[in-house]
Amino acid sequence: MSKKKYRDTGAEYTSRKPILYTKKDKTLYVLQTAGAILVTLIMVFPVYWMIVTSFKSGNVLLTKELNLLPDALNLDNYIEACTRVPLFRYILNTIAVTVIIMILKLTTGVLAAYGFARGRFWGRDVLFYVILGAMMVPHQVIFVPVYVLCSKLGWVDTFAGLVLPSAVAPHFIFMLRQSFKSVDDSYVEAGKIDGLGTLGAIIRIMVPMCKATLITASLNTFITSWNSYFWPKIITQSDKIRVISVGLVHLRESWNGVAMWQHTNVTMAGCVITMIPAVILFFVFQKYMLTGYSKMAMK
Amino acid sequence: MKEEREGRAASVKRRHIKKSQIQEFLCVVPAVTLVILTIYYPLADLVRISFTDWNLLNKNWNYVGLKNWEWFVHNAAGNYFFQDMWVTLKYTMMSLMVSLGLGMLLALLMNRISGGFSVMRALIFLPKYMAMSTGGVLFVWIFNKEFGILNIIIEKLGGSPVGWLTTAGTALISVVILTGWHGLGYNMMIYLSAMMGIPSTYYEAASLDGAGRFQRFRYITLPLLSPTTLFLLVTHFIGSMKIYNAVDVLTGGGPYRSTEVIVYLIYRLAFTDYRVDRAAVVSIIFFLFLLIVTLLTMRWSENKVHYEA
Repeated sequence: MSKKKYRDTGAEYTSRKPILYTKKDKTLYVLQTAGAILVTLIMVFPVYWMIVTSFKSGNVLLTKELNLLPDALNLDNYIEACTRVPLFRYILNTIAVTVIIMILKLTTGVLAAYGFARGRFWGRDVLFYVILGAMMVPHQVIFVPVYVLCSKLGWVDTFAGLVLPSAVAPHFIFMLRQSFKSVDDSYVEAGKIDGLGTLGAIIRIMVPMCKATLITASLNTFITSWNSYFWPKIITQSDKIRVISVGLVHLRESWNGVAMWQHTNVTMAGCVITMIPAVILFFVFQKYMLTGYSKMAMK
Repeated sequence: MKEEREGRAASVKRRHIKKSQIQEFLCVVPAVTLVILTIYYPLADLVRISFTDWNLLNKNWNYVGLKNWEWFVHNAAGNYFFQDMWVTLKYTMMSLMVSLGLGMLLALLMNRISGGFSVMRALIFLPKYMAMSTGGVLFVWIFNKEFGILNIIIEKLGGSPVGWLTTAGTALISVVILTGWHGLGYNMMIYLSAMMGIPSTYYEAASLDGAGRFQRFRYITLPLLSPTTLFLLVTHFIGSMKIYNAVDVLTGGGPYRSTEVIVYLIYRLAFTDYRVDRAAVVSIIFFLFLLIVTLLTMRWSENKVHYEA
């Protein structure tokens, strides 16, 4: 008996060798593997189809034949996707917005989490309930008045307007606070005796000790704001500010009628470009992301 | 002398605590201010707007009392609210069945320790990291009636092509397929990590007592997964009620409003019809609905005993 860890969830399991393999066990294993492979193929197929379509030429695109392989292994469709609409501009916009949102969310989140986890000031609990209550108000309910607010501030079609509703996330604060609370008081006390101020305690003690939560939370913030569509669609109007998720739909709709379908290969090339950053992040930080999700469910 | 020194030390300490209290308070100020500005203020503004006749384009507006609320009550059938609410609920139910049912089945299937299974789990999780709008653009192509790969395969298998997005009967199902595909890996991972938390001794004991595979699932796995199921049920219910992106890209609410969900209605009222006042009324009703559901589930889940067999 030895304790090991699942690679992708971090959950512990006890490995034990079965005393003997029966024939039934073996059949079951084969059946299960076959089933798993089949399901995986079905799940991955749409992504495969997206990539294949992006490498097809226009004249074999609209066909009733089952053609599972690409026929034009060149970057023509990708180049057309980038020239038809300013796709790189969209990507740069998205990177800028995502970075600003991450900085804002992390700063406000870490500071507030520390204040709520360690603070002893009057009214702390009331203010915390203010944050908790905000968790019950979804963006989809208040987007109209937020838009009105942005238009009053003159922030429609600007970066400020794009960022505003994501500048603070109540559930983010809540999650970080839980994590900060689990750090023992004595660390902070020791730090204070050694001359750390409040900011010092946050940066030198809290942040390093809650690294895993912070990385998971930041990665999820990155993915969410990279993929966000609803608010950018409302607040952006011009190319100079448009983000990639909206730009992609814009690319598709830049043709009308049948032409839209005839250029599906170009649209799919756009899809592939859009997807790349998130996928790279996913494979690099897979461990953090999957652990984060399972931890979330445990609570 | 000694007392004096102690008194001074205490006052220094007190001043120190006071200072750090102020700093701790300052820490929460930015977050609280932003929450009030971006969440509570808009919520209050929503109520105000619902009593005006403002139409977004016009600079002038008046308070008109309960006129918009009267519009809502009198035209309950004509303003599409109940129809769209019904569409949203239908979507939510179908989506819950797919995400919880298939999620659990997939977790059972994938619950093996080996490199191969680990890779397959990661691949199944992958769609979650695609933007819903990207997924929508992709599935519009897959669902295309004439040239979409889905209908080509169906025809090759001897079926007749289905107008996935052009028929009122199948459009909502197509949306469920897209969102289900998108979130299935997530549900699977949540169930898997819960399954791994079940001690293996339970299964051994049950095996010794002669319990078969199905019995072990029915009497050990299923009951012990109930907190996880509850978690997914609550989060998915609220999440599915707020669906917009998939519908917007895939069907645009059509055909014949068969996929017009409630957030889509709010969007349409505000930014297509420019009736912000009416959009505000629908938003408030929708918010109250979500709030009641959330509070009820919170109370219900507190009282619930998880380990019932």
